[in-house]
Amino acid sequence: MSVSVARPNRDVAPRSLVFSVVLGLVSSVAAQDQAAPTQEQLNFFETKIRPVLVTHCHECHSSESKIVQGGLRVDSRDGLLQGGDNGPAIVSGQPEQSLLIKALRHDGIEMPPKGKLPASVIRDFETWILMGAADPRVAKGPVGVSAVDLEEGRKHWSFQPVRDPPIPAVHDASWPVDPLDHFVLARLEQAGLRPVADADRYTWLRRVSLDLTGLPPTPGEIETFVRDNSPHACEIVVDRLLRSRAFGERWARHWLDLTGYADMMGTSNSVFAEHAWRYRDYLIEAFQNDKPFDRFVREQIAGDLLPAASPQERAENITATGFLMVGDVEIVEPDKAKLEADHVDTQVIKIGTAFLGMTLGCARCHDHKFDPIALPDYYGIAGMLRSSPATHKIPFGVWSKLNSTELPETPEQKAARQKLEAEHAEKLAAMKGEQIKLETEKKTVDEQLAAVGASLDGQVAPKLGGESRSDSPTEKTSLTKRRDELAEQLKKLAPRIQHAEFFASKVPHAFAMCDGAQPTDMPIYIRGNPYSPGDVVPRGTIRVASWDAFPPIPAGQSGRLQLADWLADRHNPLTPRVTVNRIWQKLFGEGLVRTVDYFGTRGETPSHPELLDHLATRFLQNGWSQKQLIRAIVLSRAYRLSSTNDNAANKVDPDNRLLWRMNRQRLDAEALRDQLLAVSGELKPTNGGPGLVLEEPENCGELRQSGVNPPNYTHRKPRTGEEFVRTIYLPVMRTSTATHDNLRSFFDFVNPAQIAGQRNQTVVPTQSLFVMNNELFRKRAKTLADQLITDSPQVDARLNQLWLRAFSRPITTAERDAALTFLAELEASLDSQDASTRESLHWQELCHSLLASNEFLFRI
Amino acid sequence: MNQFRTISRRRMLQTTACGFGGLALADLVSAANGPRADGRPDMVPRVKRVIFLFMAGGPSQHDLFQEKKFITDRHGQKIDSPLRKEVLQVGTEQYLALGTVAPIRPRGESGMMISDLLPHLAKVADDICLLRGMNTDNPQHASAVNQFHTGVFTEVRPSMGAWISYGLGTENRNLPGFVSIHAPGVRTYGSGFLPAEHQGTPLTVPLNDKTLPIENLRNVSSSDAIQQRRMGLTKRLNQRLIEDLRGDANMEGMIQNMELAFRMQTTTPQLVDLSNETQAALDLYGIGSGKESDKNGRACLLARKLSESGVRFVQVTMDGWDHHGDIRTLLPKLCQQTDQPVVGLLQDLKQRGLLDDTLVLWSGEFGRTPWSQDVTGTAPFDKHGREHQPESFCAWMAGGGVKGGLTWGETDEMGYRVVEGKVHIHDLHATMLHLLGIDHTRLTWNQVGRDFRLTDVHGTVVNEILA
Repeated sequence: MSVSVARPNRDVAPRSLVFSVVLGLVSSVAAQDQAAPTQEQLNFFETKIRPVLVTHCHECHSSESKIVQGGLRVDSRDGLLQGGDNGPAIVSGQPEQSLLIKALRHDGIEMPPKGKLPASVIRDFETWILMGAADPRVAKGPVGVSAVDLEEGRKHWSFQPVRDPPIPAVHDASWPVDPLDHFVLARLEQAGLRPVADADRYTWLRRVSLDLTGLPPTPGEIETFVRDNSPHACEIVVDRLLRSRAFGERWARHWLDLTGYADMMGTSNSVFAEHAWRYRDYLIEAFQNDKPFDRFVREQIAGDLLPAASPQERAENITATGFLMVGDVEIVEPDKAKLEADHVDTQVIKIGTAFLGMTLGCARCHDHKFDPIALPDYYGIAGMLRSSPATHKIPFGVWSKLNSTELPETPEQKAARQKLEAEHAEKLAAMKGEQIKLETEKKTVDEQLAAVGASLDGQVAPKLGGESRSDSPTEKTSLTKRRDELAEQLKKLAPRIQHAEFFASKVPHAFAMCDGAQPTDMPIYIRGNPYSPGDVVPRGTIRVASWDAFPPIPAGQSGRLQLADWLADRHNPLTPRVTVNRIWQKLFGEGLVRTVDYFGTRGETPSHPELLDHLATRFLQNGWSQKQLIRAIVLSRAYRLSSTNDNAANKVDPDNRLLWRMNRQRLDAEALRDQLLAVSGELKPTNGGPGLVLEEPENCGELRQSGVNPPNYTHRKPRTGEEFVRTIYLPVMRTSTATHDNLRSFFDFVNPAQIAGQRNQTVVPTQSLFVMNNELFRKRAKTLADQLITDSPQVDARLNQLWLRAFSRPITTAERDAALTFLAELEASLDSQDASTRESLHWQELCHSLLASNEFLFRI
Repeated sequence: MNQFRTISRRRMLQTTACGFGGLALADLVSAANGPRADGRPDMVPRVKRVIFLFMAGGPSQHDLFQEKKFITDRHGQKIDSPLRKEVLQVGTEQYLALGTVAPIRPRGESGMMISDLLPHLAKVADDICLLRGMNTDNPQHASAVNQFHTGVFTEVRPSMGAWISYGLGTENRNLPGFVSIHAPGVRTYGSGFLPAEHQGTPLTVPLNDKTLPIENLRNVSSSDAIQQRRMGLTKRLNQRLIEDLRGDANMEGMIQNMELAFRMQTTTPQLVDLSNETQAALDLYGIGSGKESDKNGRACLLARKLSESGVRFVQVTMDGWDHHGDIRTLLPKLCQQTDQPVVGLLQDLKQRGLLDDTLVLWSGEFGRTPWSQDVTGTAPFDKHGREHQPESFCAWMAGGGVKGGLTWGETDEMGYRVVEGKVHIHDLHATMLHLLGIDHTRLTWNQVGRDFRLTDVHGTVVNEILA
């Protein structure tokens, strides 16, 4: 495999779309002129250089160009000296240092794009630059190069420090429950709107249960709540939900959408990422235990560098850095410099998106076109990550592997693990013993067969055991049969032994970050190309969001620890805002800033800027506790509103940006599948662990340590009971949807190559087909039907139970009549089987009908 | 972040048209067009639709479309590697020149070079425009396939079919704008950040009763009548809810889709059923049980039917071109499987007068090396194959607006680098859009503050190949 250098791949829209950074007019470069050129030099330019520039370059790189590509103009000497996004195009007297020459040679940059110019022309350019690049042309109009103006940039709202705005006064003082309600109501009153009525208790309970845990309330929970007349009934529910493991499972999955998580390393060959699950389990614990968010940030960026009081804590810290490891890493990339640059890029992008709401990836190739983020900002962060090598080339072939770190164990863990290994070794030894036994027997049979064959061929009859054989043809048949049996057994045994040897060690590992041997600043890669290094820039962070100079990085350290501290600092204007906005979005369907992953100048402005800051302030005051913030929000009046439309409000604010009602949402893929299993009573609790079923040899490809391709994984044989675990525990594949359950691929599951804090919500006919005909729905309907029949002999009670389970509310009279009619009609049309089979079928159809309805598929 | 969560009623109705057999809904869909609803193209369109024949795996240009004397003369001998030293390859350490599998000869009046392995294509050489200077950026399948379909390798972006559906809307309100037959992975037909109505509908041509053309298409109730009753009840429940809530675009969409999905259970199998085709039609495509070309023949015939009915972008994927070893045996077999179906499609389109306003594109995600590869390290030379090569490869176009019989682009003496007429994937995309009447720099979607394009910030229309 060979590779061409990356073409600039993430450039941004035309430069004519001007942004809030300043165009620095360049006149100073002229001063760098050497002595006046000779006539001979000028003639050289006129005959050899100018015509080529006009013919091959002016279309895209001159004042006549519709769009000046790459910010480079070659129609004046200043233009060439100043250069474009990549820096100067020529360095007078130094052809080897001149980007223009590299481009003409198609070395890293390819110009002209349609094909290389003849070698003689390239030589002319070298000569011309060597002679001092004589060029009489003067720029028409300004030769601009963007320069990021930080002071101007800081005026953007999201870079301003978080404020603690006063609670606004409202006319209807009886409406607010929480201070945050004042901000909501004040905006509504300003617009002359009124919030709609509160949702009923059943709706609120279903809503808060689904939002906090991804599961509906059970009939028992519903009954307890509606009977609880105390003023604390809601708080009791919320506290119960927040304590549950289901909360951790739900919110960890939200976070995974920001990480590119999958159980596969890259998109090629389904190479399994066998330790990825540890990061997923880390997240579940972190959310369940309400790990303070600042701590959560520090661990994920630099957990390996943090002090730890115990082996468990140390293991947790290391595992947390999986955040930077679990994305789509193209480990088959044969150009390792490119692999490193690309992987660092995904890490920078992830940090930018998840914590800062910034599109940092734009600044890999050039200063950000809209936001005050420059190349040195990007390479300041990239330098830290490059100082912590995340992939290593394996000795054979072209592949790399992800860095993994051995996790410390407690003495008990270690003892348990060694016991497991001993058992494993015993099994392996037994298999090997078996192998030797079979081989020995096969050898004997082979010899006997050879002997029989020889005697049948009319040769001298062999003396076996001193007797001559008379029944050789029969003998041959039975020997052949035995030989084939043995060969078959040996063939089956070999991969099992290989598998057992491959997985002999049970020492826990995690994909993790680790400072390299020589942490160092890195050069800007011109156009993002690792083969075109530019100026070295100090490690640091984005300056526009900084309140102080970046602290010095001690020698021998990557700087990730300092970056982690910066991200999690209470002065950081972005981290708390981005985080509380994400939480709000998960609970209300839309963020206060609807572009949840982008707080830059082209993003949306907050609908309620003061509310956003109010929430961020409370978040900081409460020690970055996510649970406390979530608790406050779901107990607020705003969260309690019905989702019913109101004509008047709809006219003024059709998008409901002012929150006059609750937004409705279709359940996401996980909640949909988990709810199905919960309603049918089949959901099986688990404590996590590997999603991949690597213990089944048939799921693993060839397990040689030195194959051309690394071992791969196919989900042929699921783990027993896997069908019933929560969706977060199912393996996430990158290229196929071939787990036994593919609901995720129909219902907007985030593609694991994507970093996105909010999923699309699409409505397409293939989803309807899924709901109508997929066996996931069909089987749940059957289980549910049979349970209802067993639990409630009486039809009315059974119907009520069904409505409670599927819709989290009692059945209405009209619905009961409709259901009874439906059952009667089916009874009339189905006559084959016996009564109990018929009853089961009728109820299955009824249950399926409810599970396919919008009230089940939506959270209102 | 997406821009289309607040879905308008009109958008929702459009979405519901995005499936097969939505006849009954046709009257509801008053404006089934993309967001560029003015319908005015940027320039005069030369074609109305595209059929993309995707040869997944990377067909060997050295065995199909170009012979290099330099290589032929050195068949089996060591040559100098042109690779940069940073680039790793496995199984090519010896750099043995590998000559063509079968003779490549001039064909038609144009004298276009085509291999004996493609006898059908050889007959229509004057109808196709051969691009020998194709160029892409990545040597891995997954990345190169992504780039071919979406313009980029790693980020999740809309596929070209989705962009075209978005740019031009649908020609037939009852059919989707984009269908992908035997799609190679979800990202090749995804709509990325574009509205989901533009995503491709993946379709399988069933060769037996067990395969469904679309997943979950088979009714799971014991009869259609019972399923209908079940769905009737669901509909009543849905109706009641939507009245309580006084309207909801998403829920309305789900209601419409359920009716559409119900009809798709009948209309889709009818659509893919070829039992009413004439024997002549089947023969043209090489369809017949036991024939090597049966599967691809069926797929190509279906592509013609869909295209003729107004599907803007139909993709047919034919895989198996990844010949790392034993190319001498495997490549001829694959040519047998694909040559007649592909050419049958061209001839059928021509007979029906459709070729004039259809663009047919044939290409793999990259090409293969002029030197041999043996990943086992032990195979004899005549069992060697070829490694991936993104630096240069061949593709062809046929149909409206393209110069038939033209060979465009040339590579160096060994067939590694493009020296003339380079066409990068971005240029190919730009040219395809141009033929459809779209300026590739103006077909944009705004996302996280930035206008995105299929061609990113690149792409030049290859004017030289335009008729």
